[in-house]
Amino acid sequence: MTALETRTPTRTPTRTTAPLGRLAAAEVRWVLRRPRTLVLLGLLALVAVALGIGIALTGGPGGDGDGDGPGLVAQVAGNGLVLPIAALGLALTLLLPLTVATASADAIAGEAAHGTLRGLLLAPVGRARLVVMKAAGVVTVAVLAVLVVAVVGVLTGLVVVGGPGGTMVTLSGTTLGLGEALGRVALVAGWTVVQLLAVAAVALAVSAFTEHPLVVLAAVLGGLIVFGVLAAIPSLEWLQPLLLTSGWGAGTDALRDPLPLGDLASSSLRALVYVVLGSVVTVVRMRRRDG
Amino acid sequence: MGRRSWVGAGLGAALVGAVGVGLLVAPAGAAAAPVLPPVSPEDLVSSVIAADAPALAGEVEVDNALGLPAVPGVPQLANGTSAIRVWSGGDGRGRVALPSADGERTLVSDGTTRWAYDSRERTVTRAPAGEGPDGPADAGPDAQDPTTAATQAVATLRQSSTVTVDGTAEVAGRAAYQLVLTPLPSERTLLREVRVAVDAETRLPLQLTVLAQGSGEPALQVGFSEIAYGPQDPSLFTFTPPPGTTVEDAPARDGAQPEGERQGTTVGDGWDRVMVGQAPQGGPGQQPEGEARPEGAPDLSALGTPVSGPWGTGRVITTAVATVIVTDDGRIAAGAVPQQVLTEALAR
Repeated sequence: MTALETRTPTRTPTRTTAPLGRLAAAEVRWVLRRPRTLVLLGLLALVAVALGIGIALTGGPGGDGDGDGPGLVAQVAGNGLVLPIAALGLALTLLLPLTVATASADAIAGEAAHGTLRGLLLAPVGRARLVVMKAAGVVTVAVLAVLVVAVVGVLTGLVVVGGPGGTMVTLSGTTLGLGEALGRVALVAGWTVVQLLAVAAVALAVSAFTEHPLVVLAAVLGGLIVFGVLAAIPSLEWLQPLLLTSGWGAGTDALRDPLPLGDLASSSLRALVYVVLGSVVTVVRMRRRDG
Repeated sequence: MGRRSWVGAGLGAALVGAVGVGLLVAPAGAAAAPVLPPVSPEDLVSSVIAADAPALAGEVEVDNALGLPAVPGVPQLANGTSAIRVWSGGDGRGRVALPSADGERTLVSDGTTRWAYDSRERTVTRAPAGEGPDGPADAGPDAQDPTTAATQAVATLRQSSTVTVDGTAEVAGRAAYQLVLTPLPSERTLLREVRVAVDAETRLPLQLTVLAQGSGEPALQVGFSEIAYGPQDPSLFTFTPPPGTTVEDAPARDGAQPEGERQGTTVGDGWDRVMVGQAPQGGPGQQPEGEARPEGAPDLSALGTPVSGPWGTGRVITTAVATVIVTDDGRIAAGAVPQQVLTEALAR
């Protein structure tokens, strides 16, 4: 580029970089037009709806749902506003990471598999800008996925399950008004997005090293399973603070009444460390990638 | 941006990651022992008795290695670490939350009524305040002059133990005195040492540590991991049963408990005291170490290992700090002692 400029010094200065917003918007449009993204988002919406209908049909307040369901699900009966939080917790174990990993796999490895990454690498766009643009697509998918679960969860909770007059009964036995309950749902949604960004950063880093999208999916889902296994081994307890998944139970804390922020904050910090490490590896690798 | 600066940025980011991981992994770290004016055990105990209950909010960490059998519904009793959140209004009102992975038990005392809420069962249990086990304990020390009570208490303890104020420690960010009880060599007990950390300023006991023979790790450590003194939001100390829950009045427990105690006798005194009593026949009964479920006998017969001796046959349940023998003819002997002391007590 410098050589070109020195050869034509009289050329009027034109814009040599495309605005980042336009690039990101193009990427987001591209990501959202993929049928698999839309199918995954639809499936996520179905999770919340199915959960709500199942609970409305089988359980009721004071029924025999005394801790029979997995995790928070038993709490949803007759207490609809817990549904989005329970659904986010359920989806975070596998479905949401799968969605984000799919998007990350398509972002770099998928382009490489199609041979279209070469074109992007040759385009007069800095490699860091390329990574930012690709990340914007993945972040959009993560935010949309969480939003779909949360919004559909709130609607299903209010319409299908219902609740005590639009209020939420916390695990501590207190009753929150609609506004505060929605605030708690928003808190869990934001926290879930941060956790998903950590998954996305690692997935993008893997994606930057391979040209097979399946490798990214296998690495992320396999990694989650390995983390789960490591967390279950008592003699490896010292490893717990390093594992991303060990903080994933903290979403439940939003249902306790004087809201304990400690676990939510520490798991978010842990996720941010993963985000930083993943981004650095991705950028460094993409700087040197040539096809 | 040149390649060099990219490498620099990469290294910097990697450093951030490493520091972040370090922050996450690093334990809280033991701070140096704070310097406090010396105090005698008698003065320390009397100041603890005289101190008013402060208003506070805190988190209590229970580190349990007692080796008790797991009791459903009370995960805090099983081995492991659990956290309890505590709020106190300082005037008899308080709130305790026992969080579990997907539920919570909440206890609220609003001064006139005690409420217990179980999120899994969605039941509220109501009991009038002051009749529970805490009531008399709160009222007792106030009736007596704290200095006399403390001197008496320490003198009684000195018959069987060494009582010292062994230096200072930092507990939950507060400077604290360590009151240490060590059994005299003549005592035959499983316990090695009991430590109580007392806040140097407010004289509130902050931490209880029980050390057993033959283990460097505490068998039980209950203490604040976070504490903040100060007035609390009064709405914490009220409880309105949430809609959709069943409210029931607590069964009168104080009828059954003295009955169980009346049947029991104690053998020996001090650290090697042994409680000998009748096993509960299906009814609610309380064992000194609190390890029996209310349904008692069926549970106990499944636990432990068979033993026999001149006193009969039975099963012995051994934990880190206590031993219990349940004989086949329905007697129970329990104490913080080795098995041999229990069999001697049963043989009497």
